[in-house]
Amino acid sequence: MILLINTDLLVIGGGPAGMTAALKAAKRKAEVIIVERYHELGGQLTKQTHRFFGSKSEQAGTRGIDIARGLTKEIQNMSEIKVLTEATAQGYYEDKIVTVSYQNKFRKIRAKRIIIATGASEKMMLFENNDLPGVYGAGAIQTLMNLYGILPGKKVIMVGAGNIGLIVSYQLLQAGVEVKAVIEADSEIGGYLVHASKIRRTGVPIYTGHSVKSAIGESSVKGAEIIKLDENWQMITGTERFIKADTICLAVGLRPLVSLLIQADCAMVYVPELGGDVPIRDENLKTTNDQIFVAGDAAGIEEATAAMLEGEIAGLKAASEIGYLSEDVVEETRRLKRELKKLRGGPIGRKIRRGLSKVRGDDNVKKNRYSHLR
Amino acid sequence: MNEDMIVCRCEDITLKELRDLIAEGYTTLDEIKRALRLGMGPCQGNICLEIAAREICKMTDKKMEDIKMPSKRPPISGIKMSELVGDNQNEK
Amino acid sequence: MLKRTGIPTSDDLQSVTPDKERLLEGPVAIIECFNEIPCDPCFYSCPFKAIKKFDDINDKPELDYSKCTGCGNCIASCPGLAIFVVDYPKNRLSLPYEFLPLPSVGDKVWGLNRAGKSICQVEVIKVKDPDKNDKTAVITIRLSKKYLMEVRHIKVGDLDE
Repeated sequence: MILLINTDLLVIGGGPAGMTAALKAAKRKAEVIIVERYHELGGQLTKQTHRFFGSKSEQAGTRGIDIARGLTKEIQNMSEIKVLTEATAQGYYEDKIVTVSYQNKFRKIRAKRIIIATGASEKMMLFENNDLPGVYGAGAIQTLMNLYGILPGKKVIMVGAGNIGLIVSYQLLQAGVEVKAVIEADSEIGGYLVHASKIRRTGVPIYTGHSVKSAIGESSVKGAEIIKLDENWQMITGTERFIKADTICLAVGLRPLVSLLIQADCAMVYVPELGGDVPIRDENLKTTNDQIFVAGDAAGIEEATAAMLEGEIAGLKAASEIGYLSEDVVEETRRLKRELKKLRGGPIGRKIRRGLSKVRGDDNVKKNRYSHLR
Repeated sequence: MNEDMIVCRCEDITLKELRDLIAEGYTTLDEIKRALRLGMGPCQGNICLEIAAREICKMTDKKMEDIKMPSKRPPISGIKMSELVGDNQNEK
Repeated sequence: MLKRTGIPTSDDLQSVTPDKERLLEGPVAIIECFNEIPCDPCFYSCPFKAIKKFDDINDKPELDYSKCTGCGNCIASCPGLAIFVVDYPKNRLSLPYEFLPLPSVGDKVWGLNRAGKSICQVEVIKVKDPDKNDKTAVITIRLSKKYLMEVRHIKVGDLDE
């Protein structure tokens, strides 16, 4: 017999969104279980050694690792929260139960509300020899370097000039690794220009309008052939050039991890601006399944500050739906939504805003790439 | 373009294998999955399905949002049989 | 071009550089923050309220040069490491630095421009790394006047390299 655990709120994923969701609900006395795949809480924050942007009132200026430590400590001090680490949510079933593998055992969890904050996975890229040892995802490099103190190589070519590519380049430089170049297919740098400038002034060239044609090497990466792209992102033959390196790091985007949401029959919509398939939800992050909320990158790729705010909104709403009402809910929710709106308000947030406009309304249901399964 | 590049690392599937299959008329992800095991490895399609969807779009003039995705059945990641049945038998 | 290379153009720089008169008066901050991103810690770091309060958090920072004393408090507050203090009369530049090892006072190191090119030798005259800076050191260097507006990074290590 598989052990069944009952709780008020189940939070799946102990990253920035999951942690703030759990805290918000537990502070209103809801009983919370957090299921986290890794052996500690924090998610991607545990690798973010750089200072965060955003509003000072939402921890801007603080390093990601310190935000993770602070939230973890807060959670440990809450008797309402039970944390299962090295625990993986494995499925959602029709009887509204989630299965979790934990300590070599299968568990069933029945919760009144569930917040899915499973984050994202990295996208891959096609080029010749892309399976050569020495080709890494940026997340893997951050894990190796910032969590385990292991250098991925000595000379790295970074692919992608979004914030992740730029930030990981900077962290590689700090670790004493030579970054040979940042390659970006788009004609412009996608990440914050201050990140670009800070690696550029250490001498790292940024090649926009370029891509990797092939990784070079027999048994491991010895370099890469890069190539110019035209305005339609087609390779321009004759512009190939070789860059010597032992590591190619791919930072070419993230995709929301939404398997559980699909199993829970949440209506989905394909939104490229948010990284792929995301659940349709209301402004409180409630999906079309009345039991389920979503928050963080699983709701659409954004950055950690937005994820934390989304987690808070979902946590508050879930707690009040379960019955833990407090006087300040309305005002606090309003404040959080205001903060989130401010954060997304500028030119940088344009893409997110465009993406979010597609997650509401019936018109979009027809773009649901999973509706044939329902 | 050299098509000898890996699309699915779990099952070692190359772009050439994928394109040949689409050209033969296997134009849904479900068909491709059954023929090549694409998406059936440890990562359960997290890496390859999107790439394969893009190739189908290119070769059949479809849009990404019109591609039907294969279902996502539990368990989401690989687990041992003992986790499901073994030790748990001793529990009340 | 900044969006293609990461190197600000002279037009970009002109928009954040005080006039000659102000430069001659003494130290002043130069905030090389050119895109509208949601970020506001610099405002809170300034004890003289020289950085304007953000109406919209996505606005670019605005510095009132007449209120700025060049104290350098803002340097380590900027998550983008985009703030520098130039002391024109004294040929000094203060910059944020997050690499190890830190240089020592008296060291001669390379001064790098915004493209990362070593353009001159500079002398380290101050190294500030207090706890409150949370591992962003502020290094003050002395260099030739003609490079004051060019050098934005240093390379610590053997000058012959």
